[in-house]
Amino acid sequence: MSVLPPRTKATTKTTTKATTKATATALAALLALAGAAGCSSKASDAKDEGKDDAQGVRTGVGVTEKEITLGALTDMSGVYATLGKSVTQAQQLYVKQTNEAGGICGRQLKLTVRDHGYDPQKAVSAYTELEPKVLGYAQFIGSPFVAAVKKRNEDSKALIVPQAWSAALLGSEYIRVIGSTYDIETINAIDFLMKEKGVKKGDKIGHVYFEGDYGENALEGSRHMAKESGLSIVEQKIKPTDSDMSAQVAALKQAKVKAIVLSAGPAQAASLVGVAAASGLKVPIIGNNSAFAPQLLGTQAGPALEKMYFVASPSLPIGDAADGPSKLAADYAKAYPKDGLDNGVVAGWTAASTFGEALKTACKDKDLTREGVAKALRTMSAYDSGFGVQNYSEPKAPSSLESVILQPDKSAKGGATAVREAATSEAAQSFASD
Amino acid sequence: MSDITDQNQNQKQKQKQNVPPLRAAAKTATRVPRPLTRPGGYGWVAGALLLLALPFYLDTFWLQAGLFAMAAAIGAIGLNLLTGSTGQLSMGHAFFLAVGAYGYTALAGDSEGRYTGLGLPTWLAALLAVVLTGLAGGLFSPIAGRLRGAYLGIATLALIVIGLHVIDNATDLTGGALGREVPALNLFGFGFDRSELLVAGVPFGSAEKLWYVGLALLLGCALFARGVLRGRPGRAMNAIRDHRIAAGVMGVPVARYRAAVFVLSSMYAGLAGVLLALVFQNVTPSQFGMVVSLQYLAMIVIGGLGSVGGAVVGAVFVSMLPQVLTRYSDALPLVATPGTGGVSPGEASAYLYGAAVVAVVLFLPGGLIRLVARRTTMSTSGEKR
Repeated sequence: MSVLPPRTKATTKTTTKATTKATATALAALLALAGAAGCSSKASDAKDEGKDDAQGVRTGVGVTEKEITLGALTDMSGVYATLGKSVTQAQQLYVKQTNEAGGICGRQLKLTVRDHGYDPQKAVSAYTELEPKVLGYAQFIGSPFVAAVKKRNEDSKALIVPQAWSAALLGSEYIRVIGSTYDIETINAIDFLMKEKGVKKGDKIGHVYFEGDYGENALEGSRHMAKESGLSIVEQKIKPTDSDMSAQVAALKQAKVKAIVLSAGPAQAASLVGVAAASGLKVPIIGNNSAFAPQLLGTQAGPALEKMYFVASPSLPIGDAADGPSKLAADYAKAYPKDGLDNGVVAGWTAASTFGEALKTACKDKDLTREGVAKALRTMSAYDSGFGVQNYSEPKAPSSLESVILQPDKSAKGGATAVREAATSEAAQSFASD
Repeated sequence: MSDITDQNQNQKQKQKQNVPPLRAAAKTATRVPRPLTRPGGYGWVAGALLLLALPFYLDTFWLQAGLFAMAAAIGAIGLNLLTGSTGQLSMGHAFFLAVGAYGYTALAGDSEGRYTGLGLPTWLAALLAVVLTGLAGGLFSPIAGRLRGAYLGIATLALIVIGLHVIDNATDLTGGALGREVPALNLFGFGFDRSELLVAGVPFGSAEKLWYVGLALLLGCALFARGVLRGRPGRAMNAIRDHRIAAGVMGVPVARYRAAVFVLSSMYAGLAGVLLALVFQNVTPSQFGMVVSLQYLAMIVIGGLGSVGGAVVGAVFVSMLPQVLTRYSDALPLVATPGTGGVSPGEASAYLYGAAVVAVVLFLPGGLIRLVARRTTMSTSGEKR
């Protein structure tokens, strides 16, 4: 039945002859190889941890006599392109200013940027590529990728500052989230609704949230708050691809909610607020810091946003009159005149300056190795980058329990002004101590 | 009875002779890599040695990129059996990758905290994960057997949507959006984990150790697929692709073959998923989206439809190029530093990737494998210019 032509003897013979010859060569080469492997550059690549320089500062990976190299794993071509651009530019601004002021520990800072476009393979391979070259990562966008490298980072001990605020990322000495996590932020947001927007015990509030770690972490906060303060939560789970919130607004209107919490993106915020205002659901709506972008104020939903939308944020807005924000806003506008100011600028700057401060502290302690830097960060229990005080002494806890409540404002720089100063609600305090 | 089979055979042979010249050319082209073994037995040996030696010299970055490529190659071979050889389109390949990856993780992982797992020995878990993917493919096979071409493509789209929904919600098995840690492979007491092992003075981490697992798996998968394609099943598959009704008339059970190829292709995807999970050390839903399915289709089109070598070449090309471009993004021409308003490195690498894909499809209609094939025919017939 087989249609395959039988192999002729001749071919088989030549093949076997070739094979034996080949096997012999292979064996010889393998032996040579085993010997040569000893002189592979990889073999001589001994761990250079613990080399002391002329000033007696212990240095390691990513630090030379003249340079300190930091990595930035960003997204400038994927879903978080706008955020990634602002964060990266703010960090480059920090590096430039620090270098102009003489650098850190007698060394110039260098930021190696890798754009992973929110692709898991590119993100993990960029992490692996930079791992033997950098002291730490001043930026890492994409919490799933941070979680993916968490275990191997325990071995390499490089300090990572993720641009994500999920409580699931807490707990590692080398991955340090800056500011309050989404659950804390949501508790503070609901606290604001209750203290200042007339929501009281027994009321229903709606919570529209993204499927995934961000939304679900925020939901933990609102569930906690519901239990503490006798509220009931009407949950509406959405996907990041849903941008029309009509169905959610209709459902929440029917449930007669007194306020709405939104843990989604800027597009969802515009839709939710716009549709709610148009359909007569005039209740206060408050979003997490990722649910706002100044560009929204130029859309049709702009007037409604200014009237009934609030945003909880871990740091002061870029348009604030305090020294830190106003200086950064001016410097950034000068360096990047074409680009708008948003919260990404603040987040990037805060991360870079915190990393920089840890480097300075580590330099003072004469230990500029990876472990030294992580240790130095742990000694910073009240560091203020100009946008709020942070306590980095406990890796298991968020570095701050405070949230600033912002209100969109077209006339303000960065499109928002603070309506409630940085504050920790009692509920957030009790949630954190649980 | 025997008359009929004789007739069948006659018809088959006739059919073979009647194949249009283009198809025949394509067939010889897929066969061509074989002569490579004869004049250049040394070529193969040198290539194999090089591959074996790489972990001693290359950075972890390159090894990891290579491992991603190997996993992609295994998956692409599977898809090529289905799409290239049998003419069935599948958009659900990412779903089967996910079943393999999550299957392995859940079977080998322990039940601790918020996770559920069976805690099986890892080699058994890997095996069962592949079987599980086969079962998943089998469940879909009543549909796979009845639909053809683009219709199957649309039907398999549903798999991705359902798969991602389940992954996001069955958090005790999958870990949800942040993913779940993948237990390291352990074969007979030898752990392919992160602990360092000195081999000839070179520290071997997980990438170095897994490299050999990847090579072995890829070799096995490639040989098996080659065997399938060169034997009776391969001929039947090609007959279904080229003329379904004629194949049926000649006695090829069309529906059964389609279903079987679908199961086989999903098992390949399952194994690729297991390897991918091992390399990643963590499984997250973003690894298994629609784009991944499209990338696999791109691999087999770029590499060359219907051949094992084509799938491997395409997989290496598609999975390595973006990573390499990202790595050398600073050195790319016409790239502005971020913030100056020009083309950012990420965008530039995306453009280059797109241009490369278009160029291959335009100028090498048979795929990249034709490049290799053409050169060998030239060198064997002494037509070198």
